[in-house]
Amino acid sequence: MELTTNKKGDFTIAEINGRIDTTNYNEFETQIMDVIEKGEKNIILNCEGLNYISSSGLRVFLITQKKLMGLKGKLHLCNMQPAIKEIFDMSGFSSIFKIFNTEEEALE
Amino acid sequence: MQKHINIKNNIKQLPFLAEELEKLGEEWQLDIPVVTNLNLVLEEAISNIVFYAYDDEKEHEINIVATKNGNEIVIAISDDGKPFDPTKKETPDVSLSAEDRKIGGLGIFLIRKIMDSVNYKRENGKNILTLTKSI
Repeated sequence: MELTTNKKGDFTIAEINGRIDTTNYNEFETQIMDVIEKGEKNIILNCEGLNYISSSGLRVFLITQKKLMGLKGKLHLCNMQPAIKEIFDMSGFSSIFKIFNTEEEALE
Repeated sequence: MQKHINIKNNIKQLPFLAEELEKLGEEWQLDIPVVTNLNLVLEEAISNIVFYAYDDEKEHEINIVATKNGNEIVIAISDDGKPFDPTKKETPDVSLSAEDRKIGGLGIFLIRKIMDSVNYKRENGKNILTLTKSI
Protein backbone atom coordinates (compact mmCIF):
# COMPACT_ATOMS: atom_id res chain seq x y z
CA MET A 1 0.00 0.00 0.00
CA GLU A 2 1.21 3.48 -0.89
CA LEU A 3 -0.38 6.80 -0.14
CA THR A 4 0.66 9.91 -2.06
CA THR A 5 -0.82 13.29 -1.31
CA ASN A 6 -1.13 16.58 -3.12
CA LYS A 7 -3.12 19.73 -2.57
CA LYS A 8 -5.81 20.95 -4.98
CA GLY A 9 -7.94 23.94 -4.01
CA ASP A 10 -9.57 23.35 -0.62
CA PHE A 11 -8.81 19.65 -0.69
CA THR A 12 -5.86 17.40 -0.02
CA ILE A 13 -5.97 14.52 -2.46
CA ALA A 14 -4.59 11.24 -1.18
CA GLU A 15 -4.11 8.54 -3.80
CA ILE A 16 -4.18 5.00 -2.49
CA ASN A 17 -2.25 2.38 -4.41
CA GLY A 18 -2.28 -1.36 -3.75
CA ARG A 19 -3.93 -3.49 -1.11
CA ILE A 20 -5.19 -2.58 2.35
CA ASP A 21 -5.41 -5.69 4.49
CA THR A 22 -4.80 -6.96 8.02
CA THR A 23 -1.03 -6.83 7.50
CA ASN A 24 -0.79 -3.15 6.54
CA TYR A 25 -3.98 -1.29 7.57
CA ASN A 26 -2.05 0.37 10.43
CA GLU A 27 0.36 1.99 7.93
CA PHE A 28 -2.64 3.42 6.08
CA GLU A 29 -4.14 4.61 9.37
CA THR A 30 -0.88 6.29 10.49
CA GLN A 31 -0.42 8.04 7.14
CA ILE A 32 -3.96 9.36 6.86
CA MET A 33 -3.99 10.50 10.51
CA ASP A 34 -0.70 12.34 9.84
CA VAL A 35 -2.42 14.25 7.03
CA ILE A 36 -5.27 15.23 9.38
CA GLU A 37 -2.87 16.18 12.20
CA LYS A 38 -1.07 18.52 9.81
CA GLY A 39 -4.33 20.49 9.68
CA GLU A 40 -6.00 19.11 6.54
CA LYS A 41 -9.73 18.83 7.14
CA ASN A 42 -10.98 18.33 3.58
CA ILE A 43 -9.66 15.12 2.09
CA ILE A 44 -10.32 13.27 -1.14
CA LEU A 45 -9.26 9.63 -1.12
CA ASN A 46 -8.67 8.69 -4.75
CA CYS A 47 -9.21 4.92 -4.79
CA GLU A 48 -8.29 4.27 -8.43
CA GLY A 49 -5.25 2.17 -7.48
CA LEU A 50 -6.93 0.41 -4.53
CA ASN A 51 -7.39 -3.17 -5.68
CA TYR A 52 -8.17 -5.01 -2.44
CA ILE A 53 -9.67 -4.10 0.92
CA SER A 54 -10.63 -6.22 3.92
CA SER A 55 -12.52 -5.31 7.08
CA SER A 56 -9.32 -3.93 8.67
CA GLY A 57 -9.06 -1.37 5.87
CA LEU A 58 -12.77 -0.52 6.01
CA ARG A 59 -12.28 0.17 9.70
CA VAL A 60 -9.68 2.87 8.88
CA PHE A 61 -12.06 4.50 6.37
CA LEU A 62 -14.72 4.67 9.10
CA ILE A 63 -12.26 6.05 11.68
CA THR A 64 -11.17 8.73 9.17
CA GLN A 65 -14.79 9.66 8.44
CA LYS A 66 -15.63 9.96 12.15
CA LYS A 67 -12.49 12.02 12.81
CA LEU A 68 -13.19 14.47 9.96
CA MET A 69 -16.86 14.79 10.91
CA GLY A 70 -15.73 15.75 14.41
CA LEU A 71 -13.51 18.44 12.87
CA LYS A 72 -16.33 19.62 10.59
CA GLY A 73 -14.23 18.57 7.60
CA LYS A 74 -15.08 16.66 4.44
CA LEU A 75 -14.11 13.21 3.25
CA HIS A 76 -14.83 12.43 -0.39
CA LEU A 77 -13.99 9.15 -2.11
CA CYS A 78 -13.56 8.78 -5.85
CA ASN A 79 -12.52 6.52 -8.77
CA MET A 80 -13.41 3.36 -6.89
CA GLN A 81 -12.97 0.05 -8.74
CA PRO A 82 -16.25 -1.92 -9.11
CA ALA A 83 -15.07 -4.80 -6.88
CA ILE A 84 -14.19 -2.35 -4.08
CA LYS A 85 -17.49 -0.48 -4.52
CA GLU A 86 -19.25 -3.82 -4.11
CA ILE A 87 -17.56 -4.35 -0.72
CA PHE A 88 -18.60 -0.82 0.31
CA ASP A 89 -22.20 -1.56 -0.78
CA MET A 90 -22.29 -4.85 1.17
CA SER A 91 -20.95 -3.18 4.32
CA GLY A 92 -23.43 -0.32 4.19
CA PHE A 93 -20.44 2.02 3.67
CA SER A 94 -21.76 3.44 0.40
CA SER A 95 -24.39 5.39 2.34
CA ILE A 96 -21.87 6.56 4.99
CA PHE A 97 -19.39 8.03 2.49
CA LYS A 98 -19.70 10.52 -0.31
CA ILE A 99 -18.48 8.55 -3.32
CA PHE A 100 -17.83 10.30 -6.65
CA ASN A 101 -17.02 8.84 -10.06
CA THR A 102 -14.14 11.23 -10.78
CA GLU A 103 -11.68 13.41 -8.88
CA GLU A 104 -13.11 16.51 -10.63
CA GLU A 105 -16.59 15.72 -9.26
CA ALA A 106 -15.15 15.07 -5.81
CA LEU A 107 -13.53 18.51 -5.84
CA GLU A 108 -16.84 20.36 -6.34
CA MET B 1 -10.42 -30.55 -8.02
CA GLN B 2 -8.92 -30.02 -4.60
CA LYS B 3 -6.14 -27.93 -3.11
CA HIS B 4 -4.67 -27.98 0.38
CA ILE B 5 -3.07 -24.87 1.85
CA ASN B 6 -1.49 -25.04 5.29
CA ILE B 7 -0.48 -21.93 7.15
CA LYS B 8 0.82 -21.06 10.60
CA ASN B 9 -1.09 -18.93 13.11
CA ASN B 10 0.86 -15.84 12.12
CA ILE B 11 -0.70 -12.84 10.39
CA LYS B 12 2.47 -12.49 8.28
CA GLN B 13 1.31 -15.59 6.40
CA LEU B 14 -1.48 -13.64 4.69
CA PRO B 15 0.64 -12.59 1.66
CA PHE B 16 1.56 -16.29 1.19
CA LEU B 17 -2.15 -17.15 1.32
CA ALA B 18 -2.89 -14.48 -1.31
CA GLU B 19 -0.17 -15.94 -3.58
CA GLU B 20 -1.54 -19.46 -3.17
CA LEU B 21 -5.03 -18.23 -4.06
CA GLU B 22 -3.71 -16.51 -7.17
CA LYS B 23 -2.14 -19.80 -8.26
CA LEU B 24 -5.42 -21.57 -7.50
CA GLY B 25 -7.28 -19.01 -9.60
CA GLU B 26 -4.98 -19.73 -12.55
CA GLU B 27 -5.19 -23.50 -12.15
CA TRP B 28 -8.98 -23.50 -11.85
CA GLN B 29 -9.41 -20.64 -14.37
CA LEU B 30 -11.43 -18.51 -11.96
CA ASP B 31 -12.38 -14.90 -12.72
CA ILE B 32 -10.33 -12.30 -10.84
CA PRO B 33 -13.31 -10.99 -8.78
CA VAL B 34 -13.96 -14.58 -7.58
CA VAL B 35 -10.32 -14.95 -6.48
CA THR B 36 -10.47 -11.54 -4.74
CA ASN B 37 -13.62 -12.52 -2.86
CA LEU B 38 -12.12 -15.87 -1.81
CA ASN B 39 -9.02 -14.02 -0.62
CA LEU B 40 -11.21 -11.63 1.39
CA VAL B 41 -13.27 -14.33 3.14
CA LEU B 42 -10.14 -16.35 3.91
CA GLU B 43 -8.32 -13.30 5.27
CA GLU B 44 -11.28 -12.52 7.56
CA ALA B 45 -11.59 -16.12 8.80
CA ILE B 46 -7.84 -16.64 9.25
CA SER B 47 -7.19 -13.33 11.01
CA ASN B 48 -9.98 -14.14 13.50
CA ILE B 49 -8.29 -17.46 14.24
CA VAL B 50 -4.81 -15.91 14.51
CA PHE B 51 -5.96 -13.09 16.84
CA TYR B 52 -8.54 -14.87 19.00
CA ALA B 53 -8.24 -18.66 18.90
CA TYR B 54 -5.06 -19.19 20.91
CA ASP B 55 -4.10 -18.26 24.46
CA ASP B 56 -0.62 -19.76 24.23
CA GLU B 57 2.37 -18.41 22.33
CA LYS B 58 2.94 -21.66 20.48
CA GLU B 59 2.91 -22.24 16.77
CA HIS B 60 -0.25 -23.84 15.42
CA GLU B 61 -1.24 -25.02 11.98
CA ILE B 62 -4.37 -23.88 10.20
CA ASN B 63 -5.54 -26.15 7.38
CA ILE B 64 -7.45 -24.92 4.37
CA VAL B 65 -9.00 -27.32 1.87
CA ALA B 66 -10.52 -25.81 -1.26
CA THR B 67 -12.66 -28.03 -3.47
CA LYS B 68 -14.29 -27.24 -6.80
CA ASN B 69 -17.20 -29.39 -7.94
CA GLY B 70 -18.55 -27.99 -11.19
CA ASN B 71 -19.66 -24.46 -10.39
CA GLU B 72 -19.47 -24.88 -6.65
CA ILE B 73 -16.49 -23.93 -4.53
CA VAL B 74 -16.25 -25.31 -1.00
CA ILE B 75 -13.64 -24.08 1.44
CA ALA B 76 -13.06 -25.86 4.73
CA ILE B 77 -10.87 -24.17 7.35
CA SER B 78 -9.82 -26.08 10.44
CA ASP B 79 -7.88 -24.96 13.49
CA ASP B 80 -7.12 -26.42 16.92
CA GLY B 81 -7.94 -23.22 18.81
CA LYS B 82 -10.66 -22.45 21.35
CA PRO B 83 -14.20 -23.41 20.31
CA PHE B 84 -15.65 -20.51 18.34
CA ASP B 85 -18.76 -20.54 16.18
CA PRO B 86 -18.74 -17.47 13.91
CA THR B 87 -22.25 -18.28 12.67
CA LYS B 88 -23.50 -17.31 16.15
CA LYS B 89 -21.89 -13.89 16.00
CA GLU B 90 -24.23 -10.92 16.05
CA THR B 91 -24.71 -9.19 12.68
CA PRO B 92 -23.73 -5.50 12.62
CA ASP B 93 -26.46 -3.05 11.63
CA VAL B 94 -25.15 -1.83 8.26
CA SER B 95 -27.93 0.74 7.89
CA LEU B 96 -26.57 3.00 10.66
CA SER B 97 -25.06 6.42 9.96
CA ALA B 98 -21.33 7.09 10.36
CA GLU B 99 -21.88 8.61 13.82
CA ASP B 100 -23.68 5.51 15.11
CA ARG B 101 -21.70 2.90 13.23
CA LYS B 102 -19.43 0.87 15.51
CA ILE B 103 -15.80 0.40 14.49
CA GLY B 104 -15.21 -3.24 13.63
CA GLY B 105 -17.33 -6.40 13.57
CA LEU B 106 -17.42 -6.48 9.78
CA GLY B 107 -15.17 -9.46 9.07
CA ILE B 108 -17.60 -12.30 9.75
CA PHE B 109 -20.42 -10.24 8.28
CA LEU B 110 -18.51 -10.02 4.96
CA ILE B 111 -17.88 -13.78 4.97
CA ARG B 112 -21.61 -14.42 5.35
CA LYS B 113 -22.49 -11.84 2.73
CA ILE B 114 -20.05 -13.09 0.07
CA MET B 115 -20.53 -16.84 0.54
CA ASP B 116 -23.79 -18.73 -0.09
CA SER B 117 -23.49 -20.81 3.06
CA VAL B 118 -21.37 -20.78 6.20
CA ASN B 119 -21.39 -23.83 8.47
CA TYR B 120 -19.54 -24.50 11.69
CA LYS B 121 -18.79 -27.69 13.56
CA ARG B 122 -16.51 -28.68 16.40
CA GLU B 123 -14.93 -32.07 15.80
CA ASN B 124 -12.01 -33.88 17.45
CA GLY B 125 -10.91 -30.71 19.26
CA LYS B 126 -10.98 -28.63 16.08
CA ASN B 127 -13.09 -25.80 14.76
CA ILE B 128 -14.18 -26.56 11.21
CA LEU B 129 -15.69 -23.75 9.20
CA THR B 130 -17.13 -24.74 5.82
CA LEU B 131 -17.88 -22.03 3.28
CA THR B 132 -19.71 -22.64 0.02
CA LYS B 133 -20.14 -20.45 -3.05
CA SER B 134 -21.64 -21.02 -6.48
CA ILE B 135 -19.73 -19.21 -9.19
